[in-house]
Amino acid sequence: MPRDASDLLHGTLDVLVLKTLSWGAMHGYAIAEWIERRGGGDLVIVDAALYKALHRLEESGAITSEWGLSDNKRRAKYYSLTTRGRARLRSESETWKRYALAVGRIIESS
Amino acid sequence: MQVPSGVRRAFRLPASSGQITRDLEDEVAFHVAMRVQSLERAGLSHDDAIAQAQRKFGDVQDLHDYCVALEVPHMQRAQARERLSSIAQDLRFALRQMRRSPAFALIASLTLALGVGATTAIFSVVNGVVLKPLPFSDPQQLVQLWGIDANGRHLHFADPTFDHLLAENHTLSAAAEYNTGDMSFSTNGTATRVTAAGVSKEFFRVLNVRPELGRSFAPEDQQKGSPMVILISHGLWMRLFGGSESVIGTIIKSGETPITIIGVLPAGKEFPAGTDAWYPREPFGEATSYTAHNWNVIARVKDGVTTEAATRDVSMVLRRLHAAVGDATWTLDGTAIPLRDQIIGSVKVLLLLILGASAVLLLIACANVANLLIARMAVRESEIAVRVAIGAGRGRIAQQLLIETSLLAAVGCLGGMVIAAAGMKMLLVLRPALIPRVGELSLDWRVLVFAVVISAATAVALALVAAWRGTAGDLRAALSQSQRTQGGGGASYRVRGSLVVVQLAMTVVLLIGAGLLARSFVGLMSIDPGFRTHGMVVAGTVFDEPRDTNYIGRRSVYYQQLAERALAIPGVTSVGISDAPPFSNGSSNGEFLVLDNAGIKLAPSALEGMFNDKARTGYATYRTATGGYFKAMGIPVLSGRVFDATDRAGGPEVAVINAALAHKRWPNGDAMGKVIEFGNIDGDLTPMTIVGIVGDTREQDLAADPLPAVYVDFDQRPGNSNEMFVIMAATNEAGAIAAARRAFPQVRADVPMRFLTVEDIIGRSVDSQRFMLLLVGIFGAVALLLATLGVYSVISYLVAQRGREISIRVALGASAPQIVHLVLKQGVTLSLVGAIIGGVAALAATRVLKRLLYQVSPTDPIAFATVLVVLCGVALVASYVPARRAAAFEPMDVLRGG
Repeated sequence: MPRDASDLLHGTLDVLVLKTLSWGAMHGYAIAEWIERRGGGDLVIVDAALYKALHRLEESGAITSEWGLSDNKRRAKYYSLTTRGRARLRSESETWKRYALAVGRIIESS
Repeated sequence: MQVPSGVRRAFRLPASSGQITRDLEDEVAFHVAMRVQSLERAGLSHDDAIAQAQRKFGDVQDLHDYCVALEVPHMQRAQARERLSSIAQDLRFALRQMRRSPAFALIASLTLALGVGATTAIFSVVNGVVLKPLPFSDPQQLVQLWGIDANGRHLHFADPTFDHLLAENHTLSAAAEYNTGDMSFSTNGTATRVTAAGVSKEFFRVLNVRPELGRSFAPEDQQKGSPMVILISHGLWMRLFGGSESVIGTIIKSGETPITIIGVLPAGKEFPAGTDAWYPREPFGEATSYTAHNWNVIARVKDGVTTEAATRDVSMVLRRLHAAVGDATWTLDGTAIPLRDQIIGSVKVLLLLILGASAVLLLIACANVANLLIARMAVRESEIAVRVAIGAGRGRIAQQLLIETSLLAAVGCLGGMVIAAAGMKMLLVLRPALIPRVGELSLDWRVLVFAVVISAATAVALALVAAWRGTAGDLRAALSQSQRTQGGGGASYRVRGSLVVVQLAMTVVLLIGAGLLARSFVGLMSIDPGFRTHGMVVAGTVFDEPRDTNYIGRRSVYYQQLAERALAIPGVTSVGISDAPPFSNGSSNGEFLVLDNAGIKLAPSALEGMFNDKARTGYATYRTATGGYFKAMGIPVLSGRVFDATDRAGGPEVAVINAALAHKRWPNGDAMGKVIEFGNIDGDLTPMTIVGIVGDTREQDLAADPLPAVYVDFDQRPGNSNEMFVIMAATNEAGAIAAARRAFPQVRADVPMRFLTVEDIIGRSVDSQRFMLLLVGIFGAVALLLATLGVYSVISYLVAQRGREISIRVALGASAPQIVHLVLKQGVTLSLVGAIIGGVAALAATRVLKRLLYQVSPTDPIAFATVLVVLCGVALVASYVPARRAAAFEPMDVLRGG
C-alpha cells in the first residue's frame, strides 16, 4: 500500500474521517467541509489526501461506499461507517487523545 | 438521497482498472463542482473559483495512481474468487445433472472405464516389457552374440569358437558363455528341481551384478576339476532357506555331487530370466569340437562402441576363424544383437499392435460417449440457448461442459484403473510365454500417469465435441425449434451417424482379427499331434548322476522300479520313459552316418572324413525311449518292432525311426535293417540297426511339420539330457498323479519331480495363440457391445427426431411394416458403410497377425464374411427395437404433443 511521508498525518486524517462519518453517510466534499468547519479553519486538508484516506479506509473495510444522488440531484459517491470502522474509531480516538495529552504535557513542561 | 447499502456490492462484477478510473473521475468532478459552487457563492468569479478549487484539490494523477494500486490486487482476488465460485457452481450443477440422469452417467463412465482400463492394462505391459530398461547397469552395452551358419541361421557357440572370439575381438570389454538346464537340488533329504545356469568366467562381469550376500566365483572355483560351488537367486534363497544368512557355506547335493552355496544374487537381477542358480562351467572341462554348439554368449561392449561396430568386429573374427580352420567349423560369420532386442524381439511389434487395438477400443468408447453427450446436448440445447441469451459467453459454457465431461472422465479413470489392475492380475496368472519379463510387470507411476493423461485428454475431447454441438448454429432457431422436436437438426444426425460408422468400422477390424485368431486356434487344436491327447500323465524327473560306466545301469534300475510302481497304480495301463518326448526341450539333433554293417568300429578321428560324404549321412532328432514309451504315448508302430527285453546293454544296439525320416532318407521304403550312428552326439560310437518304424509326432510347435526322428534304446544309450519323463497312460489323470506323487519318492526321495497332464502340455504349446485370441476376442466383444449401443442410440434418436414426420406418414396411411422398413433402412445404411470401411481397414491391419496364424490367410474370406454378417445382423437388431417403437406411434399423440 502506498504511503505518504508522514504516518502521523495518515493516522490523524483517518481518525478525523471516521469521526466525521460517525454522524452519518456523506460524500467526500461534505466530509471535507465538515472537518474544515469543525476544525475552525485551523485544519486545512489537501482534497487529494482526503480521497486517498477514503479509498484506503474503504479498502481496509472501515468504511463502505455507494453511488447516490446529492441534494442538488447530482451523482455522488457516499461513504458510511461499517461496524469495523466504528470499533476502529473508538480505539483510535483513545490512542489519539492519550497521544495529544502526552505531546501537550511535554510542550507545557518546557 | 441514498442507495441502500450493499446493493452495489451485490451487483458488482469484477472491476477493471478502467472502471476504477471512471469512478474516480466522477467522484473528483463532483467534488470540484461543489467546491466551485461554494466559492462562487462566496463571490469569486467562475474562472477564479475553478482555479482555486483545483489548487485546493491537489495532485489528481497521484491520487489516481494511489487508488489503482490499492484496488488492483483487490480486483484480482475478486476475479479469482469469481472463477473458483463459478467452477464450484458448475461442479454442483454437473453433479446435479448426473443425479438427474444416473443411467447416462453410469453408461458413459462405464464405457470410458472400459476404454481407459483396457488401454492402461496393455500400456502397463508395454511399459514393463518394452519401455523399462533391463535391470543391469549401462544396459545399452549388453549384447547377445550369435554365430551364423551357411544358411544364414543363428548358431550357438562352440567352446573353441568362443575362446577364439575372446582372444581376437577388439570391441568387447567382457564376454561369457552360459547354458541353462534343470538340476536337482537336495537339502536335508528333500529334492527340488531348479533351473540352473552353467556360466563361464566373466558372466557376472558382463552383467555387472554382485551377490547381495556372500561372494561371487573366485578363480579357484573356475578350474577344471574344482569342487562345485553355486550362487542362488534371491527367490530360491527365500523359498528354500527362508532368507537365513547361514545359507552361505551350506552344502547341498545334486544327485551325488556335493555343492557349496557361496552367495545370493539380488532379486530382479536373474539372467536368463527365471534362473534359480548359477555355477561355474569350468570344472566340467571344455569341448574341443568346433561343432559342439552348446553355448549362448552374452557380452558387454566397450565404452563408446556401437552394436554395429561390435557386429563388424565379431563378424570379422569369426570369418577369419572359418578361413583358418575351414569345414571344421560350421560358423561362417557372426553378429551382435542388443540384449534388449534379443529378449523383446518380435514381441515388441505384437505388443504395440495390442496397444493399438486397445487404443481403438478407447476411441470407440469415446465415440459412444460423444454420441450420448450429443444426444443430451440436443435435449439441453434450449437450456444452453437460454444461458447464452442471459449473457453466458461461449467460454463459460465450454467450462461448464468441460467440468461435466471431466467428472465423467474422472469416474471413468478410477473405474479404468480398477479394470487395469484386474487385467494385470489376469496377465500374471496366465503368464503367457509370449511376453518376456512378465514377472517384472507392475502398475507403477508411469502407468498411473498414463491413465490420468488419457482420461484428461478424453475429457477435453468430449467437452470440445459437446461445446461445438452445444453452441453451434442459430440459437434462436434452437430456442423455437426445441419446443417442437426436442432436438437438433439434420447436422446433428450426420455427426452422430458418422461417429457410429467409425465405431462400426473399428469394431470390424477388431472382430476380424479375433475371427482370424479363432479360426487359427481351432485349426491348431484339431491337429493330430501324433500322440495321445487325453488320459496321459507325465512325470518330469531329474536324474543327476555322474555319467560313468555304470550310469545307464543305475538309471535303468531306478526307472524300472518307477515303472513297476506306476503300473501298480489303478487305472494306469502302460508306462514308458524318454529323455525327450515331443513337448520337452531335451531332444538333440544332428547328422548321422549310414554304415554298411553293425560290426564297424568307429574312431573319433575318422568321423570327420565320413561326414563329408553327403551320400552317407542323414539328419534327424535324437532321443532315448523305452519299449513301453510308444504304447504309453499312443504312437503307432508302423512296421518292425520297438525296443523289448532282448535289447540289452552291451548287446547289439538298435534304433527305431519315425515315418518322416523313413520317407525322407529311404524313399524306396528300405529303411529297415539299415545301420546308423550319430557320430559323437552322446559319447557312444556303437552303430545301431534300425528295427522299427513308428508314427510321426509333432514337436513343441504344433503348427510345424513333424521332424525326422531317431529313437534309441533307453537301456542301451545314455542320451544327452538329465531330465527323464515317465509317461503313464491313465484313465484317471488326477488319481494317477496323486498316487504317483506318493509312490515314486518311496523308491528314491532325492530325485525331484513334477507332474503334468497331457492337456496342460498341449495347452502350453498354444499359449501365445490362446493369449492373443483371448485378448483380441475380449476387445472385439466389448467393441461390438459398444457399437451396438451406438447404433441403437443413434437410431432411437433418429426416430425421436423424426417423430412428427413418421406420424404424418402413419396418418396418411403408411403401414407398420413400411415404417419399420423406413427406419431399418437407416440402420442398414450405417452398418453397411461401417462394415465396408472396416473391412478395407482390416485387410491392411490383419497382415501384422500373420506370424500367429496357422493355415489361415490374413485375408481369410470366411472370417471376413462371418464378421460382416454378424455386424450387420447386430446392427439390424439394434435398429429394429426403435423401428418397432416408431411403428407403434399414435399419430394424434405425437402431433398433439408437438
